Amino acid sequence: MATTIPSIACLGVIGRNNNPLHTSIFPSYDPATNSLRPVRTPLQFSLILSSTLDIFDLRARQNAAAGVGLTGDLGLLHAVDDRLAAYGFETNTGTRFVVVVDMRGRRVDGAAAAAAAQTGAAEGSSKRVAGAATGLREGEMRPVFKAMQAAYIQLMQNPFFEPDEHSPPAGQGGKRITSKKFAEEMRRIGEGWTPGAVSL
Amino acid sequence: MASSKASRLGEEVWKTRMDKVNAELVVLTYGTIVAQLCKDFDSDYIEVNKQLDKMGYNIGLRLIDDYLAKSNTMRRCSNFRETAEMIARVGFKIFLNITPTVTNWTSDGKQFSLIFDENPFADFVELPDDGRAQDELWYSNILCGVLRGALEMVQMQVEAHFVSDVLRGNDTTEMRVTLIRYIDDELPPEDD
Repeated sequence: MATTIPSIACLGVIGRNNNPLHTSIFPSYDPATNSLRPVRTPLQFSLILSSTLDIFDLRARQNAAAGVGLTGDLGLLHAVDDRLAAYGFETNTGTRFVVVVDMRGRRVDGAAAAAAAQTGAAEGSSKRVAGAATGLREGEMRPVFKAMQAAYIQLMQNPFFEPDEHSPPAGQGGKRITSKKFAEEMRRIGEGWTPGAVSL
Repeated sequence: MASSKASRLGEEVWKTRMDKVNAELVVLTYGTIVAQLCKDFDSDYIEVNKQLDKMGYNIGLRLIDDYLAKSNTMRRCSNFRETAEMIARVGFKIFLNITPTVTNWTSDGKQFSLIFDENPFADFVELPDDGRAQDELWYSNILCGVLRGALEMVQMQVEAHFVSDVLRGNDTTEMRVTLIRYIDDELPPEDD
């Protein structure tokens, strides 16, 4: 028996003027064809990312009202359907990171997973199996956001990167991120993450 | 001076006599200079290389005295090989806290390479993706100028240029330094 565990379906970076900066899409396991392919089209992912913006604003307002700080990990933003869920993080400069998780995105060998759950010896893998059944724990996305933020900081440190071109003070337009290093880093994060991972 | 002795000297000077400054300040300042030069010269990278070299030259002219004072070297290097060791193990060590490898000597002992395993200037940097920067810009070219300027002040005319850079996708960052000649001290014209 093969079972599936959550994986990252899409990573999005959104500028402070709600301008899209970067989108990476990752293929999910498709049991019908036993192959890997994205669960949505790029346009649909773009719409999912856009739909998180209102929630970001709402959370920011709620947090400000409650006085619990402005930014940081916002946790689950919304569950799109029974497969996809969007998680968000906002930096103090207003840049948003969105992770769209596919709850059944990756196939694991059922026998191995069951064995690991039984022995319980391998802490990580038993959590992984539990994650498949119960969804993701609070703070599960933290290492992902941390890694994304690290990559973003690295990008900002590059002297040839012009923040103003990407998030103009006027608030209109803005280029997307074209850095290969950054795209490569996003790909590494998206492919490397598994439930229970503590660092990326 | 033996190379291990030079290493010790570099280490000691670095630890005890050098004022330290935040690395990111240096990296970002240098990065801004290069990026601004690229903008000012309309991405004429050949010209940017020249300007960086010129800036470095002016730095080198001044830096050499600081080097001599801090390192307490009172005597001349006996040959160019020793000079190379002192540059790598003392000079680069005390100012940048790196020790490039001296290698690839020509048989006449007048040309060597400095291989930079780490280059603090190039942290975070990704060259512009315009198809030319990767082939034309030597990001750390200021270092060539520094060497040229500093060595000129101690009667050595050298030529220095980069031959490879990890930023361009090469495996190593390598600078080639060539001794052109020892400049003879010119006597002031006699007034008779």
